[in-house]
Amino acid sequence: MSTPNTTLDLSAPMRERKIAARIWSQAFASVEFKIGMIVFIALLLLAIFYPWLSGIDPLKMDIRGKLAPPVFMGEGWNWANPLGTDQLGRDMLSRSLVGLRYSLLIGVSTTILMVSVGALIGLFAGYFGGKIDTVLMRLTDAQLSIPMIILAITILGVSRPTIPSIIIVLGLAGWPVYSRIMRSTVMSERKKEFVRGAQVLGATDWRIMFTLIVPLVLPPIAFVAVLDIARMMIFESVLGFLGLGVQPPTPTFGNIIADGRKYLINAWWIASMPGIFLVLTLTSINLMGASLERARNAIYGGA
Amino acid sequence: MFVVRFLVRRLFQGAIIVFLVSALIFTLLRVVPGDPVRLMAGGMAPEALIEKIALEMGLRDPIYQQFGRYIGGVVQGDLGQSFVRPASGAAVGGASFDDNTRAARAEVWDLIAQTAPMTLQLALLAMIFALIVAIPIGVAGGLRPGKWPDRVALYLSSIFISLPNFWLGIVLALLLSVKLNLLPAIGYDGFAYTILPALVLAVEIAPFIIRTLTVSVANVMGQSFIDIAAVRGLTRNQIIFHHALKNSAIPLLNLLGVQFSMLLGGVLVIEYIFDYPGLGRLTINAVMQRDFPLIQGIAIVTAAAFVLINIVVDLCATAIDPRLDY
Repeated sequence: MSTPNTTLDLSAPMRERKIAARIWSQAFASVEFKIGMIVFIALLLLAIFYPWLSGIDPLKMDIRGKLAPPVFMGEGWNWANPLGTDQLGRDMLSRSLVGLRYSLLIGVSTTILMVSVGALIGLFAGYFGGKIDTVLMRLTDAQLSIPMIILAITILGVSRPTIPSIIIVLGLAGWPVYSRIMRSTVMSERKKEFVRGAQVLGATDWRIMFTLIVPLVLPPIAFVAVLDIARMMIFESVLGFLGLGVQPPTPTFGNIIADGRKYLINAWWIASMPGIFLVLTLTSINLMGASLERARNAIYGGA
Repeated sequence: MFVVRFLVRRLFQGAIIVFLVSALIFTLLRVVPGDPVRLMAGGMAPEALIEKIALEMGLRDPIYQQFGRYIGGVVQGDLGQSFVRPASGAAVGGASFDDNTRAARAEVWDLIAQTAPMTLQLALLAMIFALIVAIPIGVAGGLRPGKWPDRVALYLSSIFISLPNFWLGIVLALLLSVKLNLLPAIGYDGFAYTILPALVLAVEIAPFIIRTLTVSVANVMGQSFIDIAAVRGLTRNQIIFHHALKNSAIPLLNLLGVQFSMLLGGVLVIEYIFDYPGLGRLTINAVMQRDFPLIQGIAIVTAAAFVLINIVVDLCATAIDPRLDY
């Protein structure tokens, strides 16, 4: 799994490890981060191993065992389906956990795509300046002013939603924020002595950009990107809820909740249980992200 | 004079942005698969009729010609007519191909003008709720960085931001209107129907306000003029409410400008869940029905709103803090 620290390690070569490691250890020292990490790892292990170990197929229907409530809640519960079953007798726990897998997969890959596109565009705009900057930034402003969700549902609503298309659409809809941050930091770094020094030594623009500037400015951005994994997971579930996400029968949080909404009065658990899983996962990611962000702010200073 | 020059420059830039947005959305809608005429005429319509309607409407011309025609209308304030919605107000039209009500389709502008005030009402109420919740928590957190109010702010905002709006909407509707019968939830029949959607939206906005406030209040409180204010004999309340809060208001205003699109995204989903007759529900229906002119119109109007809100935000920021220069 690409947890935040691996994305970070990829982007940060040896020299930069120091600041990155300092942020990392400061964040790790906080209680919030530890709580978030324990909950997250527990959920991750559960999502990876439970559907596989229990051997319960999230798609297997059992009409006779349909609408069984979660344990200790209401009549007819059983230990085989700890969170109950849905309207077709499918096990809610394994459906939620498979949903969690898809949600994490899409959340993480979308964020990586988003950060890479945004950082590249911001890098070019900030480094070259002039006309390139104006064109790229006007484009960014234009994209920033179309609400991301309108763009996403427009594209996914008129074309077929598949996992890669969802990742691409969400990733391409979310980059402008990163290109703005990247541009402003690159612009300030670009004026510094070491860039001039490298130019005098005959380094090409590409070399300066990718070996000197990127390792310096990317880590602080990558830390904040952890928060966006959670945001993208919410987005993915919103799309699923609107019927524009990963299509049934594949269970995702969004389409389980959308289905469960029809049975809300008789079987509240169908819509609520996946939501509780989603909230737990998101809270754990957000706690980690928020403490990373705080550690970054404390070390870099400023907001 | 300064204000006039500022306005002219920003409005000009805004016009460029709106133009780019419309070009982007327009091209996108033409490029993706899915023929709107097929939906308009119905599944049973013969191929020849579909081609005839498409030709009549100019949908087979090159994209740049179609766009030129469209933008020519937009400049004159004409956003075109909806593909599928009849002017009579029914939600779905064009069910069969020999339906001859096609002449009386709704104007996009009217559709937007009818629904926008509803969305504005929802957004404003949500903003008020969010501020009521977030200001005490955020300010308390900012005044004691690292102490328990700060932690409370961190935990609360982490939890709030992790509540998916559609799920929270469903759960609150189940609890508050089905089980406890406190608030009406679905549809719209008076102001009371705005409260529950606004609450859900407020939960979505509040964490951003809390986070911005804690950071900016902590920043301002660390500056020397706050220390000096105490020496000047001002009470703690005076310092906090007159000096610290006023200075922390600017990041809050900027947040409003930046997060506008997020607010709109939230509105979209929440209106869909609660069946609230606003701009968000209109957008979702437009997308589901491949109603291209309506989607374009909504994109242009929201982009324009985004530009205007950002201009107003910057003007307010200079009014609060004259040192800022745009």
